[in-house]
Amino acid sequence: MKRIEDIENLSLEELEKAAAGVSVPDGLADRLKASLAAETLLQDDRKRHIWRNSVVASLALAAAIAVGVFVFRPAEPKDTFDDPLLAYAQVEETFQFISNHINKVYNK
Amino acid sequence: MKKIIAIAALLLGFISAFAQDGKSIYMKYSDEPNVSAVYVSPAMFRMIGRIPDIQTGSEGVNLTPVIQALTGLYIISSENQDINDRLAKDVNRFIKNGTYELLMEAKEEGEKMTMYTCGNEQTINSFVMLAAEGTELTFICLDGKLDRPQLESLMADATK
Repeated sequence: MKRIEDIENLSLEELEKAAAGVSVPDGLADRLKASLAAETLLQDDRKRHIWRNSVVASLALAAAIAVGVFVFRPAEPKDTFDDPLLAYAQVEETFQFISNHINKVYNK
Repeated sequence: MKKIIAIAALLLGFISAFAQDGKSIYMKYSDEPNVSAVYVSPAMFRMIGRIPDIQTGSEGVNLTPVIQALTGLYIISSENQDINDRLAKDVNRFIKNGTYELLMEAKEEGEKMTMYTCGNEQTINSFVMLAAEGTELTFICLDGKLDRPQLESLMADATK
């Protein structure tokens, strides 16, 4: 029994001579072609599945984010005042409140 | 597929938990009992800006340039201890999660006041104040594009 290293070292003519003595079963070539074709189809099918799952996953994520943005975002609050003059008075009072506290700090 | 949906749901949960700003704090507390709440919207600020010759208060500084830069005012005030504790925690978390820097802090017996701003050297995008006086806690948030030197000048005028 030859070792793999010995077989690898054989020349092309020696390989052909060794192969000439081997009988090939009938229909082997056709069976090999059919296997290779089936394998190719299977790989194509796998690629299609992966691509389809990626698209579905991306769409699911995008839908989840869209739902999150539109459903969970806080609603707009309602203005406390309808009259801009009253609103201005409140803004003025707020700034007065802030400045009173600043005055307390600086006048210590 | 189930894993992807579960991850997306978890992401949504995290986003909603951590998304806080002045508006969300206002929305959380404005309907609580024993809470005073004030909100002035961007639309209202635009209307204020269009009022000609606004009469300012007797000792007030001219707020017109500041008003025109404001897009939101949120005020929450309460004397309920439980609400005050929760509000203080939420505001501190909101400050820590954002890019706020401490502007001023003052403490004395029974009173504590802190002010924060968010923005850059030229512009303040948000001003937050938390003032505790006795049993009352007040949260103020001003949003807009305030000119920092102008606001600092306004505050300096207020101390005169």
